[in-house]
Amino acid sequence: MAGNHVARRGFLKGAGAAGTLAAAALTGNIATAAEAAEAKQAAVPSEPLLTLNADEAAFLSAAYDTIIPADALSPSGTDCGLVTYIDRQLAGAWGNGARMYRNGPFFPAKPEYGYQLPLTPREYFAAGIRAANAWSEKTYGKSFDRLMPAERNAALMAMENGSAAFDSFDSKLFFEAVLLSAMEGFFADPIYGGNRNKVSWKMVGYPGLPATWAAKAEAYRGKKLNIEPQSIADFS
Amino acid sequence: MAKQMKHVDAVMVGMGWTGSIMARELTKAGLKVVGLERGSYRMPAQDFTMPGIRDELKYRGRFELMLDNGTETLTMRHAPDETALPMRRWGAFPLGDGLGGAGTHWNGVTWRNIPSELSCDRIWKTATARKPSLRI
Repeated sequence: MAGNHVARRGFLKGAGAAGTLAAAALTGNIATAAEAAEAKQAAVPSEPLLTLNADEAAFLSAAYDTIIPADALSPSGTDCGLVTYIDRQLAGAWGNGARMYRNGPFFPAKPEYGYQLPLTPREYFAAGIRAANAWSEKTYGKSFDRLMPAERNAALMAMENGSAAFDSFDSKLFFEAVLLSAMEGFFADPIYGGNRNKVSWKMVGYPGLPATWAAKAEAYRGKKLNIEPQSIADFS
Repeated sequence: MAKQMKHVDAVMVGMGWTGSIMARELTKAGLKVVGLERGSYRMPAQDFTMPGIRDELKYRGRFELMLDNGTETLTMRHAPDETALPMRRWGAFPLGDGLGGAGTHWNGVTWRNIPSELSCDRIWKTATARKPSLRI
């Protein structure tokens, strides 16, 4: 599923052309683009980060903007609020290991045994970003967020296929965690800080909460349903 | 110290769809039934309403309706020579919690009965005929 998503967005082809500079997102500037095609980096006051430090925010912003570049489909990942999303998630209960079995003992395990590390998601992202930047420094001579778009593509691809040799850290699993957070932030309800202006829902024609379109399925088969999606906040 | 409860004819472990239907049938037949449930009480009008219930991240992503993986889990291994490891986060399947916890994520999968299930009645009658005092 994850792989399909990357392929659908033209992950490797599109990101370079978009030419977004993740550095702009370092300060947390968020574009209020109503439509994908009008993506701008508006001078909206930056939101304070709850838990991410500057290096972590820069890494994630660069990674999200490579996975979701600003193009005809949507603004960049950062402009869609993905850094805000992951920052809130990592600062909250989930980030600190809620609903996760954290008792030992811990053993090295095959991937099919699922997550088997003692780290909370917050600790996992911190360690993963440090390992990724150390590998990037060794490979490219600079941290990931300072790479050119084409290099970021190559670096993320090396993580995705596991060929990026992080120091005592699984780069493939780390990439999957970053990709999953990108998908969550992009598609989850806007109350979580991502999916600004319901941009992803508009992109795929998802009507949002009211699941009452079954009767129209025949009439709209293969056609785009041009309705304003409704989110949790619209009902509150 | 185990607490000795008053004797009843049947104890239902779980009072969701299955337990409550069976308890209804047993009580109709005149048996005294106690139903056990764990976790929170849940009712559709309070707990399964718009807009909150359409929160995909909360329920599908973080398993908020399921058993808290932080307090309880189970271990799995895929072969006898492997070490069984705990499921630290629900993955292939989640375990339910609260009233109707299994019913909330039942996917409509009803497997074909296996032969022993189809002969339950005969096996049970044979067993109870041998031990007339055995209670269900």
